[in-house]
Amino acid sequence: MAPEEMGKVSYRMRLVFAVCSLLFVATLAVSPVKDLLREWKHYKRGYLNLARSRPDTKRLIADFRPDLDQIWIPEMNVVDRCTSCHQGITQATLADANVPQPYRAHPPIPHRVKEWGCTPCHRGQGAATEVAEAHETTLAWEQPILPGRYLEGACGSCHRDARPETPKLNRGRQLLESHNCAGCHHLQDIQRAAMPGPDLTNVGTKVSRAWIYKWLKEPRTVLDDTGSVKVNGYEMEESPRMPQFRLSEKELTNLSAYLSSLRSHPVAPYKFSPAVLAQWSKRPDVVDQGELRFRQMFCSTCHSFAVTRAGETKMIGGEIGPELTKVASKVNPDWLVAWLLNPQAYLPHSKMPRYEWSEADLYKVTRYIQAKLTDSDLLSTVPQLGEPAKDEIAEGKKTFLEKGCSSCHAIEGMPPQKDFGPDLSALGSKNVSQLEFGKSTIPRNLISYIQSKITDPSSVNQAARMPQYNFNAADLDAITTALLAMTGPPPTSALQKLTVPRPNPQFRPAGEFAQVYERYQCADCHKFNGFGGDLAPDLTYEGSRAQRQWIDSFLKSPQTLRPTLIFRMPQFNMTDREAAILADYLSMVMQSPDVRPGSLNVKDLTPAQAALGKQLYEVKYQCQSCHTIGSGGGYVGPNLNNAGNWLKPEWVAAWLANPQALIPGTIEPQRSMTPQEIKAITAYLMTLRQGGGKAAQKKAAVQGMSRGGNGVAGQ
Amino acid sequence: MKLRTLLLLSAVPVFLLAAGGCRKPAAPAKADALRNAYDVEVDSNDATHMIPLSYQQAQGKRIFYADCVWCHADATPAGPSNRSNLTPVPPLLSDGTVLNGVSDDYMKNIITLGGSALGKSAMMPPWGRTLSPEDVKAVIAYVRAVAQPPYQAPAQAGSPYTREGTAGSPSK
Repeated sequence: MAPEEMGKVSYRMRLVFAVCSLLFVATLAVSPVKDLLREWKHYKRGYLNLARSRPDTKRLIADFRPDLDQIWIPEMNVVDRCTSCHQGITQATLADANVPQPYRAHPPIPHRVKEWGCTPCHRGQGAATEVAEAHETTLAWEQPILPGRYLEGACGSCHRDARPETPKLNRGRQLLESHNCAGCHHLQDIQRAAMPGPDLTNVGTKVSRAWIYKWLKEPRTVLDDTGSVKVNGYEMEESPRMPQFRLSEKELTNLSAYLSSLRSHPVAPYKFSPAVLAQWSKRPDVVDQGELRFRQMFCSTCHSFAVTRAGETKMIGGEIGPELTKVASKVNPDWLVAWLLNPQAYLPHSKMPRYEWSEADLYKVTRYIQAKLTDSDLLSTVPQLGEPAKDEIAEGKKTFLEKGCSSCHAIEGMPPQKDFGPDLSALGSKNVSQLEFGKSTIPRNLISYIQSKITDPSSVNQAARMPQYNFNAADLDAITTALLAMTGPPPTSALQKLTVPRPNPQFRPAGEFAQVYERYQCADCHKFNGFGGDLAPDLTYEGSRAQRQWIDSFLKSPQTLRPTLIFRMPQFNMTDREAAILADYLSMVMQSPDVRPGSLNVKDLTPAQAALGKQLYEVKYQCQSCHTIGSGGGYVGPNLNNAGNWLKPEWVAAWLANPQALIPGTIEPQRSMTPQEIKAITAYLMTLRQGGGKAAQKKAAVQGMSRGGNGVAGQ
Repeated sequence: MKLRTLLLLSAVPVFLLAAGGCRKPAAPAKADALRNAYDVEVDSNDATHMIPLSYQQAQGKRIFYADCVWCHADATPAGPSNRSNLTPVPPLLSDGTVLNGVSDDYMKNIITLGGSALGKSAMMPPWGRTLSPEDVKAVIAYVRAVAQPPYQAPAQAGSPYTREGTAGSPSK
């Protein structure tokens, strides 16, 4: 380079310098532009525009800040920036359905957004500031928000108890429990049942090898095209608990061989007395008589079966016991009689009550079951299997263990396998990358994974040992919701304190009462101190409600108090002594602390009060809209024709003052009655007596009830 | 020649940065109204049509099926309805031709205070001591959601939107 040119910048160099400078400025400018174009800022501006277009602009933008909004609750692990875009969430005037999202107000819920944030209920990524990252599964963020349909699953992470507000979640948990998912999987809060499926120690005495083969191959439950559960070809609400296993022909042969060889305690055939046989065996109407008895005993309260009425065949009956439409083609006739006589002798944990049979009834009912609840074609598709061979039995035993049958079915000397399936107690917080989808084409998210796994486990994992469950769409959603609620132990101690534990009510009576209570399996249908079924009235306060005499006679001959009920108390044919034991215990022990025995005496109620009470009942409060007296009135509440013999006056008074205090959730609303009105209505109801013959009426007269009163009223 | 190469080279980072800055936001998956609804109810006129319900409306549905269904529907979960037993016959709660004409306040009052307080049948009991004000609101929200023909909230004079103070249900 020449010296004169030193220090002189050529034109070209200047140009390069200018371009580089411009480039540098442009590069720097990208950052503010990028910042300006951020998604959430776009929504911020949109909100301002929306607010300005509305009459209450001032209030809508009172809290408006141009920067990122955030709800930060460190003790709950909540960092939610959702309100940066969802700005109208607490603005009541933006509740209108035509307000565009994301600005619409949140529908009313029990939790305040400011106190709880958004992600504890909706899941998703609270810290994300882009729409896709906040709501969906992306590469960097794993947890998508819960679709509204499964939102109750998030409630269940903290509310482990069964709240009335979350029916879907409660149903799901109930299904997880009744289908014994805890037999194979470790679940949050749901323990393994004492006897999940029937004990098979003696199953060879109950059913034939052909039936076992058929049952394992084609369970009677199927899902039809519309997704309804069909049992034996008829629609049913709940599927039977036994799932469908994908078994090969060889496995079917071996398993049926093994199971049918299990007959360590053979059934001794019951010998009907010659008198009964002579009287009934030749009668042409024995089957009809048996059916009548079967109906009268209300077996349908627990068991369903197909009936044909007016040309239409459908399934009726309850779901506590198994479906019976074809039961006679299933079980050995000798086993059936032995079972009806004493179910617990075969299955110690059976829910079936041990009825007090008369021999004639037992004969008639057995004949009815064998004649009508049968299907001669049931086993026609089963190949000839013959007597089980030794090697088949050994192979079958192996298959039994491999398939995890012992998780639900006990066999003497074969303990259940612990943790046969994967731990699901934190399934709800699993990330998509932790799930195995195999070759399936289902959407890559937790919900579709759970649902495919339940309905067809082989779709996501060819080698899955899990059987297939036939749930209808609603139940599948319920189970999914309950599984999504299982998110493992709460991540912070504050959340741990907030978590409402699952109650575990127990009712363990002792003594003579316990024997009768267990014999008739009262807790299948009735609740005692929070424990038991909910098919029938809660008996926790039965002693405060009903008169001992009435309980005693009801147990011996249950008449229905609610004529519209489908499920009714079975006729157990209890002995006098058993009824007395139950009545004594219920009336002495099952008392409400809010009802003082003897606080209101029938003797102190005057006919004038009763007359006023009748007026109040019929005119002012119009109780007849729900209750029946005489032949008129509604079907919602119990029939009150025999209230004077049934109810205790102090209960009636306490009940009228506040029904929910005695039985939470009862339909009867609380009225604002004065104490005088309560006494008057009580007096009227206590005059309502029915039946019981002359002795009862005489007794009523002695008790002073008929002192000028109208004795048997409401006719 | 050199200059052109330089310009071209420098255009590459500029383009990349610009593209990064102007990136279009990823569109969220198309929302399915029924999947995103907290609960659904069958349209009383058309069994194949489902009406999406919010949390509040779903609570109203629960309360309806616990307390109201016995007299305000033709079928109940426990068999035949009590409706045909009553004179006057109570309206079906999905009957928009009757209930769309009454205001939220009127419905709140008749549920809370009972029929006799408003000069209607005393067979409608007061629920104010049994249901909380939130429960009553939820029932009204549910009734509005399932009404057939559909319920239209009354518009306020001078505003196409509902004003504060009358917001009783999210369907408004």
